[in-house]
Amino acid sequence: MSEADEYYVGRCLDGHPDDFRYLVRRYQAVLLAHLAGKLGNKEAAEEVAQESFVRAYFGMDKLKKPQMFFCWLFGIADHVVKEHQRREQIRRQRERLRSFSEEAPKPELSQDYALEAAIAELPEAYRQVILLRYYGDHPCNQIAERLNMPLGTVTKTLSRAYAMLRTSLQQEQRKELNEV
Amino acid sequence: MNCAECKELLVGYVEGFLDESRMRAVAEHLRGCSSCRGQVQQIEGLHERLVANGKALAGSDLENEVMNRIIRKQKIQLKAQGGLHTAPNIWRIIMKSKITKLAIAAAIVIAALIGLHSIGGNPLVATVTFAEVIQPILNARTVVLDLIVGSEETGPAMQDIVAGSKIRRTFSNMETILIIDLNNARMLTLDPPSKSAVYMDIQGPLQEGTKSYLGLVRDIVSKIEDNPNIPVQELGEREIDGQRAVGFLLSEPNLKLTIWADLKTALPIRIELLQGQTQTIIKNIEFDVLVDDSLVSMNVPAGYTLNEEEQDWTEFNEQDFIVVLRVWAEYVLGGKFPDSISMEDLMNLTSQLANMAPRTEDEVDQLDMSEEEKAQLGMSFGRGFVFFSQLEPSGADWHYVGKGVEFGDANTAVFLYRPKGSDTYRVIYGDLSVEDSAPEDLPK
Repeated sequence: MSEADEYYVGRCLDGHPDDFRYLVRRYQAVLLAHLAGKLGNKEAAEEVAQESFVRAYFGMDKLKKPQMFFCWLFGIADHVVKEHQRREQIRRQRERLRSFSEEAPKPELSQDYALEAAIAELPEAYRQVILLRYYGDHPCNQIAERLNMPLGTVTKTLSRAYAMLRTSLQQEQRKELNEV
Repeated sequence: MNCAECKELLVGYVEGFLDESRMRAVAEHLRGCSSCRGQVQQIEGLHERLVANGKALAGSDLENEVMNRIIRKQKIQLKAQGGLHTAPNIWRIIMKSKITKLAIAAAIVIAALIGLHSIGGNPLVATVTFAEVIQPILNARTVVLDLIVGSEETGPAMQDIVAGSKIRRTFSNMETILIIDLNNARMLTLDPPSKSAVYMDIQGPLQEGTKSYLGLVRDIVSKIEDNPNIPVQELGEREIDGQRAVGFLLSEPNLKLTIWADLKTALPIRIELLQGQTQTIIKNIEFDVLVDDSLVSMNVPAGYTLNEEEQDWTEFNEQDFIVVLRVWAEYVLGGKFPDSISMEDLMNLTSQLANMAPRTEDEVDQLDMSEEEKAQLGMSFGRGFVFFSQLEPSGADWHYVGKGVEFGDANTAVFLYRPKGSDTYRVIYGDLSVEDSAPEDLPK
């Protein structure tokens, strides 16, 4: 479980599909956090995450830089999110046609939706660092390796990400207070 | 250390990744500064929140579900790729699946509609007589016509009833009925023998490129009115289906449109469209026929069972097209690639598949596959049609070179194409592997 991503990617390509589970284990929480923020619904996030992993597995021969597995996986997930959202939109339109008087059920939110939504709003580089740090439980030096950036940049990015998250969470709170 | 310097380091302090001397410096500053201490509290709060949420999500377990899905999918792929001895069974069963049949019929209609892509480029010029001929096309509420893709002798025919933005389409070589709602980008497919129905979503690139025939001709005509620059060539008189007719030819690069109209009534009776490598013939045209609304209704007719699995046609890619090549070479032709690929060939291939011997229960049992999985594979086949048919309208350059190539031959190319704007070609080989290739490196 402690090997680098490229090791497992290589194993999968060499005909050891079962080793893919280590990559799933490593990134499932990161991916789920990312998706829960984007989709606002835990079940949808799980479905999209599963589909993304499956697509990643079957598209692995197209991954040119195995050390970039994580970024690549996120790219796939973003694509699946778009597909999912389009399907949802169509489904909702149709539901509205069937019974426009009924209110759509509220999506089931995961534990700390405000936080996940704020993370989803972060610029790419900041989001990745936050996700890897807290949802992938990676120390900063591993993040540096994974994202191919100097350690100093990772710590700086993390600091700035904190500042952004605080601002955005405070704004969100203020908005809620105003609404009440 | 002042406050500004300290604030820069606070996240590192809470996270514990500062070196010892800076840890100490921050701690010292904090002792004397309540403002920075407040900041630390906030950061700690956020830190805890992040850690807690991270732990909650880490508790979810996708691992087994993902691995199961991969194993299932791999099993299907292995079976589908399992060489000549096992593959034919699978494809026969898949092609006999009701849903798949519906999917394939849908593929044809979509593909044929894409073929009638709206026309860009230079506008055309009008003459008085030509203007007369096109009037009914412009003004008709409804049109009934026969549409032939390919050559008149061998190409399969479809009959279209066009009413406003809706089309009811039937086929000469299959029993399937399609009702297309162009405005809402939806299609209802009906299979009379099995009394089953399915809705399909044709949004996205399909919708943009999709037009009814009437819409296409209107497009051309309105361009003529906007900017008269290209001459309409008069072809003189000829006998067409027993009527004296007068012809007009409009040509643009990559496009030739010929309209033959009745000499007495000036009504169009035959339209030929050659777009790139695809020919379409429209004949037996009648304008403003009374069309019963129920014929183009998007509701499922009484007695039909609606298949709840909505089909999605909004995405299609090269892999789908490779499924088509595989079915064709491996299953239908027994290990050889076809002599040519055109819309006509594809439509004939489809009716061939649809009419193959019925499956036996034994074969079904051998195949450990759910209806949904079969449908997925069948839909991929259908999407492969769509992929192929949009190559030309999308501006891609493509060549089929598979004549005589054995299935499995890794050294010989069968199909190459260059998407619009790409510097390189995608080359598909006889073993269905794909490589990028610069134009100068293309296989001979």
